[in-house]
Amino acid sequence: MSLILVQILNGLQYGLLLFLAASGLTLVFGILGVINLAHGSFYMLGAYAALTLTARFGDIFVALAAGVPLAFLFGAAIEWLFIRHLYKRDHLQQVLVTFALILMFDEAQQTLWGNYPESIPTPSYLSSSISLTSDLGYPVYRIALMTICVLLAIAMMFVIQRTRFGRLVRAAESNPEMVEALGFDSRILFRIVFAAGVAMAAAAGILAAPVESAYPGIGDRVLITSFVVVVIGGIGSIRGAFLGSLLIGLVDAFGKVFVPKFASVLIYALMAIVLVLRPSGLFGRQ
Amino acid sequence: MLKAPSFRASILLGCLAALFLAAPLFVGPYGLKFVTRLVVFSTLVVSLDFLLGLAGLVSFGHAAFFGVGAYAVYFVSPEAASANALLALGAAIAASAAVALAIGAFACLTRGFYFIMVTLAAGQMIFSLFHDTDIAGGSDGAYINVKPALAAFGSGLLDFDDRRTFYYVCLALLVLSVLALSLLARTPFGRVVQALKANEMRLSALGFDIYKFKLAAFAVSGAVAGLAGGLFACIDGFVTPELFSWHESGLAIMMVVLGGAGTLFGPILGALAYISLEETLKSASLVGDLVASHWRLGTGASLIVAVLLSPGGLAGFFRGAARTRKPTPARLGQAPLESRKAATLATENLTRTFGGLRAVDGVTVSFERDRVHAIIGPNGAGKTTFTNLLSGALKPSAGEVLVDGRNVAGWPAHRIARRGVGRSFQRTNIFPAFTIEDNCRLAAQATHPSVLRLANSRRAQEDTLVQHALAVVGLADRTQAIAGAISNGEQRQLEIAMLIASGGGILILDEPLAGMGPEETRRVIDLLLALKPNHTIVLIEHDMDAVFAVADTLTVLALGRVIAHGTPEEVRRDEAVIAAYLGGHAPRGARP
Repeated sequence: MSLILVQILNGLQYGLLLFLAASGLTLVFGILGVINLAHGSFYMLGAYAALTLTARFGDIFVALAAGVPLAFLFGAAIEWLFIRHLYKRDHLQQVLVTFALILMFDEAQQTLWGNYPESIPTPSYLSSSISLTSDLGYPVYRIALMTICVLLAIAMMFVIQRTRFGRLVRAAESNPEMVEALGFDSRILFRIVFAAGVAMAAAAGILAAPVESAYPGIGDRVLITSFVVVVIGGIGSIRGAFLGSLLIGLVDAFGKVFVPKFASVLIYALMAIVLVLRPSGLFGRQ
Repeated sequence: MLKAPSFRASILLGCLAALFLAAPLFVGPYGLKFVTRLVVFSTLVVSLDFLLGLAGLVSFGHAAFFGVGAYAVYFVSPEAASANALLALGAAIAASAAVALAIGAFACLTRGFYFIMVTLAAGQMIFSLFHDTDIAGGSDGAYINVKPALAAFGSGLLDFDDRRTFYYVCLALLVLSVLALSLLARTPFGRVVQALKANEMRLSALGFDIYKFKLAAFAVSGAVAGLAGGLFACIDGFVTPELFSWHESGLAIMMVVLGGAGTLFGPILGALAYISLEETLKSASLVGDLVASHWRLGTGASLIVAVLLSPGGLAGFFRGAARTRKPTPARLGQAPLESRKAATLATENLTRTFGGLRAVDGVTVSFERDRVHAIIGPNGAGKTTFTNLLSGALKPSAGEVLVDGRNVAGWPAHRIARRGVGRSFQRTNIFPAFTIEDNCRLAAQATHPSVLRLANSRRAQEDTLVQHALAVVGLADRTQAIAGAISNGEQRQLEIAMLIASGGGILILDEPLAGMGPEETRRVIDLLLALKPNHTIVLIEHDMDAVFAVADTLTVLALGRVIAHGTPEEVRRDEAVIAAYLGGHAPRGARP
């Protein structure tokens, strides 16, 4: 029983982190029309930034506060340097350029931080566990992590659903040409959306770092799983990304316990089932 | 359409072939392994180009087939003896084709972004299957102790352990793959596969089952990739789950695009360029320690520059200048119209709802042969929805669509098209990259749209259909013009020619006059009148002068319902019609 409870919590935690990464991916594809393979790298860079920033400032939350704005600026720069040239190109070229970006980010990571996994300390005041049942504890940091993810998710939903900027984003998602025809500068809009996506992915990487540490290739796993989330949820749909992430998180958590060797196969099987039933994802436009 | 390599490209390919043939003479054992790897990788990327460049299906899981081929060789190799080389490579091809069919069955249901992601996920799924379980050594990989060999009549013919022999086997198989895929691209099957990239909707409306064609292309490509994988396993005698990884798929795509997608030979240049680039940047003696230790940075940057500067790939540099023909004005052909499988079209209480909106609401009409039937109505009347229901592009919510009395409601578009229903689209819907003749030839091929058509057995018959159709619409003297480059009016004529060539007896034309000048309008009206005998023409049109000039019957739709039906004269006097068009409010009997 307690095992199930723990796995539910682990699944939710993984799902929430995944949502931060996948929401950026789905918005970038839905609005900018760019398949961004380098999205996982931003998660990876977030995790390594957590390593450096916690070493410097001594606390993961300070690292988060400093890292997210940095990631936003970094994202804006990447958009300006590379991504903006891809808006009118076909998917293939987007795949190629962002694939080449992965090569470069991986190299940068290896040069700056080396090839070995690095662990990032949990803040001492959160290193204890709380007892869920009489014989079962759960680390406080993970609960704090989930809380922050939920707050970030709510903040993002609020911005998208309730603000003028969010209305513009939603409009651009459904018809980018029209937004431009109405006189909005889509270049700025696109840059902000891309940078925000990078910031979210980096935030996920920073928050996850004390739990899963930083290691090379961490971005690949997140990227592929995020794509599965986007496909399940439907392109461009934040709601879909949210449900898809939690679904994948739970399936993965329980798969690891009950069919450990086939856990990763399971999420692709889930995707296949969703696609057969709903070819445009759960919340995608038909 | 796949073009033969230009003169410059042929020279380059010749030099390349000579270089490859002579390579074993002047490279050492390490160098030989390197060129073998290059040749095997070229086979992989050529197979990917068939899918990606010709069919327009971006497979991001191509490494899966490569890996399956490699593992197939491992599985058929005995512990301490060499496997029969034919058996080993045959197993590689068969296994990867089977896996490609299984993955394709899902992937071909989707398109665009989803297709890319489904193939990517499928590749990852196979990767984790081999990586996380104990199959064939799990994540550590496994060794093929003795490489395959081929013996006949007691003596050894081929031994894959002999590096030089094996290299020439790989080279021969690369050449064979390129030739086979090029030939395949020129068969009727290949023509449809190439048309997939240009215009799926049009193919479907012509009567081709695009799902089957995609699946077949996927399997062919997967089989060749499997062959490459099988050969790859024999290079080092080692298989590892890394072969399936999405990085391999990404690299393969990169080589295809770098070399020039859709040429079949370009990807070989791409593989050569990429692998040389990587090797150069890795060797400290050439570029210095600093660059060599960060070779991925240099590779990534060069790739970005290459893609952004040369979207056409390396093959683009070797493409001859496009010859442009002087356009000749089209004339209306006077070819006699023979009788064809014409039919009557009728609907019975046909209804389609979108949520609460009844876009087409209980329409019952019938259209007979040898007549032009016009459907008119104000914007939003449901005309286009009605057309889509007739052609199968949309499924009705209720009611029947009867072709020659047979209810086809709910059938997929391609099956309805095969019964003789051809349609044109509101936005001209042709294959822009094909010549006028190839557009029509594809349409003529739709009279026998089965997937497995490799021989041009009906060539003569198709020629007749093509020439006839082009003569009727007046494009007979422009057969070699590229369809995307002719005028809008001519494209409309071409679309009608395609309907004629596909043998449709019922022609549904959705606003064929939209955006046409008076001269072009006149020409299309003459064309419709010429087609009237032996065809059932359903015309959706806004141009009232044209409608009254050609139509034998008029059906007026408003808010999804038929508010009038009859001869033009009767309809002209109908009060409900006058109200709908002139009064600006809903006619009596229609809901608000």
